[in-house]
This record gives sequence, C-alpha cells and structure tokens, in this order.
Amino acid sequence: MADIRPQDIGKPSEQLSKIENLMSLPAPYDKPGMEPGFKPLKDSWKDDYCTTLDGFVGNEALQRPKTKEEEEAFVQGFLRGLEKLFSNETNRNYLQPFLLSFEYCAKCNTCSEACHVYKASGEQEIYRPIFRSEVLRKIAKKHMKGDGFWTRFNGGDIDINVETILRLGELAYRCNLCRRCAQTCPLGLDNGLLAREIRKIFSMELGIAPKPLHEKGSMLQLKTGSSTGITREAFLDMMEFMEEDLYERTGKKYKVPIDKKGADILLTHNAGEFMAWPENPAAFTILFEEAGLNWTLSSEMIGYDNVNYGLFYDDAQTRKIGLQQVKAAKDLGVRRIVVAECGHAHKAAMVSIDRALVGEDNIPRESFLPLLLDVMKKGVYKLDPKRNNFPVTLHDPCNIVRMMGVIQPQREIIKMVAPQFREMYPHGAKNFCCGGGSGFAIMNSFNFPDFRNKVSSRMKFKQILEAFQGVMEDDAPKYVCAPCSNCKGAIRDILEYYQATAKFNVHYGGLVELVVNAMVQFDKPFLEFLDEEEWIAEHVNK
Amino acid sequence: MLLTVFIYLSIVAFIGLSLYKAYQFANMPMHGRWELYPVPKEPGERGHYGGSYYEDLEYWNKPREVSHSGEIIDMLKEMLFIKNLFVNQKRQWWLSYALHLGIYFLGLWTVLLAVGAIMELSGLPITTAEGVSSNGLASLIYYVTLISGGVGAILLGFGSIALFFKRSLNNSFAKYTTPQEYFNLFFLFAVVASGLVVWSGDPGFNYGREIFKALFTFSPVAADAALTIHILLLGAVMIYIPQTKMSHYVGKYFAFHKVLWDNDPNIRNSQMEGVIKQAISYKPKASWSAPHINPAAGQQDKK
Repeated sequence: MADIRPQDIGKPSEQLSKIENLMSLPAPYDKPGMEPGFKPLKDSWKDDYCTTLDGFVGNEALQRPKTKEEEEAFVQGFLRGLEKLFSNETNRNYLQPFLLSFEYCAKCNTCSEACHVYKASGEQEIYRPIFRSEVLRKIAKKHMKGDGFWTRFNGGDIDINVETILRLGELAYRCNLCRRCAQTCPLGLDNGLLAREIRKIFSMELGIAPKPLHEKGSMLQLKTGSSTGITREAFLDMMEFMEEDLYERTGKKYKVPIDKKGADILLTHNAGEFMAWPENPAAFTILFEEAGLNWTLSSEMIGYDNVNYGLFYDDAQTRKIGLQQVKAAKDLGVRRIVVAECGHAHKAAMVSIDRALVGEDNIPRESFLPLLLDVMKKGVYKLDPKRNNFPVTLHDPCNIVRMMGVIQPQREIIKMVAPQFREMYPHGAKNFCCGGGSGFAIMNSFNFPDFRNKVSSRMKFKQILEAFQGVMEDDAPKYVCAPCSNCKGAIRDILEYYQATAKFNVHYGGLVELVVNAMVQFDKPFLEFLDEEEWIAEHVNK
Repeated sequence: MLLTVFIYLSIVAFIGLSLYKAYQFANMPMHGRWELYPVPKEPGERGHYGGSYYEDLEYWNKPREVSHSGEIIDMLKEMLFIKNLFVNQKRQWWLSYALHLGIYFLGLWTVLLAVGAIMELSGLPITTAEGVSSNGLASLIYYVTLISGGVGAILLGFGSIALFFKRSLNNSFAKYTTPQEYFNLFFLFAVVASGLVVWSGDPGFNYGREIFKALFTFSPVAADAALTIHILLLGAVMIYIPQTKMSHYVGKYFAFHKVLWDNDPNIRNSQMEGVIKQAISYKPKASWSAPHINPAAGQQDKK
C-alpha cells in the first residue's frame, strides 16, 4: 500500500508497508553484494502472529486471536488499558508527560529527520515518529468521544478493530525509545514516550510483551535472580571461573570480593556480561583491585544483575526489579552502588527509580565512569597508550548520554588510552542509537534480527564505517568501544551480519577492556584479538 | 453594551481557561524522571554539550549547582525565536515563525492600544483633528502602534494562510492534519482578514483605542458591521484557543520545565526526598489487569 496514512492501519491488507529502498551505506559497503538481503517471511507465521505491519515479527507474544470472542476480548482489553493511561490512579508515574505529548503535537514533522529508523528504512511512512503517536491519538479520541462528527473533526477517524490493535502492538516495537526525536521537538514532546506507553498497555493490561523482555527477561529475573537465568550458585561458579581465567591471562591472582558487608562500593554488572563478555567484569576486577577500592559484588537475589528490562515496556516490572536491586545493596550495608557498563541499568538505577526511593532505600547510585576517570587521573595505573595504537571510535549509549548527561568522562578516559581515537558524528547527547535499544538487542524471534541489522542498526553501522573511513580496508585492527551490554550486543550482531570483522578486522568491546589493555604490568594484550606474536612484539614487549 | 460585555468575557475566558489548564497540569501527581539532555540549567558548558551532575564523582556530596540564567536564556530562545524549529526544520520555521511573531506584534499592539486609550482618557490625545498629535510621547505611541499592528496582522495573516496551504498541499503534512487543525489555521486567518477590513477604514487604529476607552469606562463600543464581526471573531478565537492544542503556550512550559529539564536528584534527607515520601505514600484505587500485576483480575476474567 503506497502513501500510507495513520487511518490505514486497520484496513485489511497482506502487509501495510514493505521496505524497499534502504538508506545507502558508505564504502566499502556501497558496492553490490556487500549486504545480505531480507529473509523471506514464512507463510506459517501469518496465521498466528502479526506479519501484516511490515513483514517482521518482533513481539511473538502478540498472537492473533482465533475466534470472534477472542478478538472482541483482545480489542476491549486494549481499550481498557488505554483508558488507564489517562488515569491518575493507574498512570501516576507518567501521566503528565504522557498527556503533554498526547495533546500538543503540532505535526510539524521535525522529529522525522531525527529518527534513525525512519531515515535508515528509506523513510518508510509507518516508521515516522508521529505515525504511531497519531494512531494512538485517533484510537483514544474515537474510543473516548464516540464516532460522531466532532470526533472525526478532531481526528478520531480510525477503525478500531483487531488489525489496528495488532499492528499498533508490533509498531510499538519499531522504535528504540532513544528519544532523539524529542530533542528536536519545538514543543518538547516525546514520541518515544508514547511508543513506550503503547507497550505498557499491552504488557500491563493484556500481559503481552516480547518474551525476551518479559517471560525470559524481567519475570525470569524476579524468579531466579537474573534475566539470563543465572542463579546464585551459577553466579558463584562463574566468578570462580573468572578468577582462574584472569590468572591464566595476567599471571596474577585476583580475588573477586563477593557479599562483603560494609564495603564502600557495590558494583553491579549486566549479568549478560558474565555469559557473553566475561572479559568485561574481569577488567573491572583488575581495575578496582589495582586501585585498592573497597568494593564487592552481590550474590543476593537480583543483586548480581543490574538489568531492568521493565524500563522498556512495563512500570510495575521496573519498580519491582529496581527495589530488589536496592535491597541487595541495603542488605550488604554498602555506601554506594556503582553501575558498570550497561546503559539502561544506568538509567534504571539512577533516573527511573530515583523518585521511588526514600530513607534507607535511598542509597547513592552512580556511574562507573567518573569513578574510573578519578582513579586514572590520580595515576594509579601505569598505562602505555601505544598498546592501543589502532583506530578506536566510541559509541555513546543513549541511556548514558541523552538520558543522563554523562558525556565527557568516557572521552577523557578513552583519550588517555587510545592514541588513534576518533569520534563518530554526531556524538554525545546527539548520538544515534545502536539500533538495539529498548530491548531490540535481545529480541531474536523469527525475522526480527533482519529488521535490527538492516534497519534499526543501519545508521550506527554507517557511523562506524564513516569513523573508519581511510583505514577501513587497512589490515590493522579497528575497535568500536561501546560501554553498554545491549549496545555491544547490537554492534556484535551488525559486525557479524555485514562480516565487518572477517573482512575488515573491525572489533568491538567495552571501555574497561581498553584501559586494562593499556596497563604496562601485563605481558600480553588483554584484548584477545591482539593476541598475536607480531602485535605483542611490536606493541607490548618493546 | 453587549459587545463590551462580550469583549470582557472573552478576555476573562482566555486568561481563566489558560490558567485552569496550567492548574490542571501543575496539580498532576509527581511523575517519574524523564529528563532529556542537554538540560540548560546545568551550569557552564554542560548546559550546552548535554552534561550533568552525573559526570561528577559522588555527586550527592557536592553542592547542586543550577544555572537559572542558562534556563531562562534557553527558554527565551524557544519562546521568542522557536529555536528548535529553526535549528531542525528551517523551511517550516519561516511560516511558523511568521505566525508566532505576528501574534507577538499584535500582543504589543494590544498593549499600546490600551496605553493610548489611557493617555486619551487622561487628556493627552494620540490624534487630533489635524492628524497625529504633536506631543512626542503621543506620536511615538501612535507610530509604534501603527507599525506593530500592521506588521503583526500581515505576519499572522501570512503565517496562518501559508501554513493552511502547506498542510493542504504537502502530502507529508496533509495526511496527519485533522479537519480541526485546518479550521484552527483558517480561524486565525479569518480574524486577521476581518481586522484588515476594519483597519482599511481607519489606518491609525483609532477604533482600537476607542474600544479600550469603552472597556475602561465600561461604556458601549461604537461598532459598525465590519468591526462587530471582527470583535466577535476575535473574542471567539480567544475563548476557543485555550480549549484546543493552540494552548501549547501552557503545555510547552510544562513539557520543558517539568519534564525534559526536571533533573533534580533525590538526595537522602533532601527536600526532594520529602516530596517523594509524600507522593509515594498515595495508595492507588485502581490497578492494571495483567497477570503479573494483578493475578486476581485474570482469575475473575476466567470466571
């Protein structure tokens, strides 16, 4: 269907929108054959899931009702949830920001140019930030004011049917909630907030949310202690293994302090790091131990996983997990919580639940970045930046920069250890999302990874390629530093998808690994991709 | 006399409804933090590049610094120049700014008409039978009123009709524009057009001062058909605006100051913590129905 309008969302069609002209990529990905095509949609998905929006299935929990009665219950459930967004009983925490963004949009379309998904998709109408917001407005107006002349005059001209609601449910997961659009709004309104409010209706009223976020995410975390399913026992085993691995890698025995009562710092990691990137918590261990910090990890329920996926879709889950994480710190009697390399955990712990904590629960929480910078400025570590003498660029996690204002410390740190550092453009508070934000990084059902790799992460891949222009096709390694687990996951996937590591020696990782790699006390590189005799001879054993 | 009453009514309605809207937003429950950087009240360079107190080690042990001047300057840039639109979508800015600047000029014009009326009531006429008064202050008021009224009307008329046509003819805008939004723009244009008709018969805006004199002395407004229509349209739009999203002059304040720029931290034993304690003591009387929030609701549905 060409020239789509918000009113078309409920009209029957095989697929409302189809991506055809993706934003072009710079060299060397400007040549034909450098990019895999979209995987075809399987017919078997069509009966059970919503494939009719854009041909992708992001929310596998959003299943097609099978009978008329189920359809009716589904639509009514959505409308019931919609009403709750407008209530100061059920939406107290977001009522004011929601109503402002709901009521005042002037539809000037300024936000569209700021949206990486809209631009990368070749400006697909349904990804325009105001498209889904306008669908929500039309549904709300029609539902709350009836189907009369004044409602249509006011914009309530939409069919409220099962297709409308299903497609809106999928469309809520085509926005990374990066809020870059809100930075450009002349009225200070926020389409990212509205996308999240739509997600809330599905999750908080209908119990429908992508499984990796809800069932295998926040629910699993509340049950086992971690969204990865890592139990306390497994966590303790992993720490033992990490200590052994550290000894093998560095030749030095490090003991990870766990459940140390009265420690100054409770360091919290995204538990995904323990499984996918154990070198990251290992690097933290080296840095904190070498600095002589009085710190600990927690093995208590949720204390060892700073993930809070509720942030992406559900206020109740955000609160439950946030309070449990604080409880772990309170039980240990620490003075402060320091959040390691996880963007959304930064925002969750410091911003999102900030106005839910009082008294003894109100334990100070801060980012690892100013702490690490402070230690480095004191000259605690002996560093040789030449050990990182390869092109390095920095990805700014939206939650750390745009939503918290932590921008300079990571730059000061990286400039101290990476002589070939170059910025992406734009960066800092105006950065582009990695494309994995708001849960996309872990949503791998059906063909959703295609959407992530080819559309939502496309702008980030373009930025990476541009940052390395001139050296991209050199043999030397190149490093994308992403101090956030979800961002790392998204960047890992695009580098694999476009074979950028295999073809152009582009690597990714965190910030602390880069710092440890520059420490002169170790005889071999900490970054494994540098673990080659030639590199060691030239840069390490000089 | 009915026109005098109507004018009073429309002014009271505009101010009263706008204040009521502000009151409604101001009395909403305290919301969770949803700030967005750059936050201009962050001091120094941070206010520009988007930094915050979170860049400081143990920020809770440091005095909170807030740049009120940074906040005011950014607010004025947004209010007076619609900075965000200028920076991010210049083509739209020309039309939108024409409309808004026109309103600002007409605001100035209104004040000057009132000042002129007071001067005339005080025995210092703005115009005489020979033309503009020779008194320096009176002639200044006369000419600034003339310029602000003329420029304001032209800019507002141009801006409103240009936006109307842009919304109608540009498909990217048209598909998101509701009938009411077309009506709003046309309504503004109709007010200006009716004003231009009246102005053409009295280029010195003497009728405006006469209206204010009638208002100040609570006496009947002398109006012909054209002026009556203009007064009715202008009064109607003033009553109408606060009830529509054209009241974004209220919403914008809250969107920036109470949402995007509200990053005050909750430090233990601080005033903010007291406010939070009060806010979270509220027990909501309703809940959401998903099983993970309210298992009983799911069981009730099954029954």
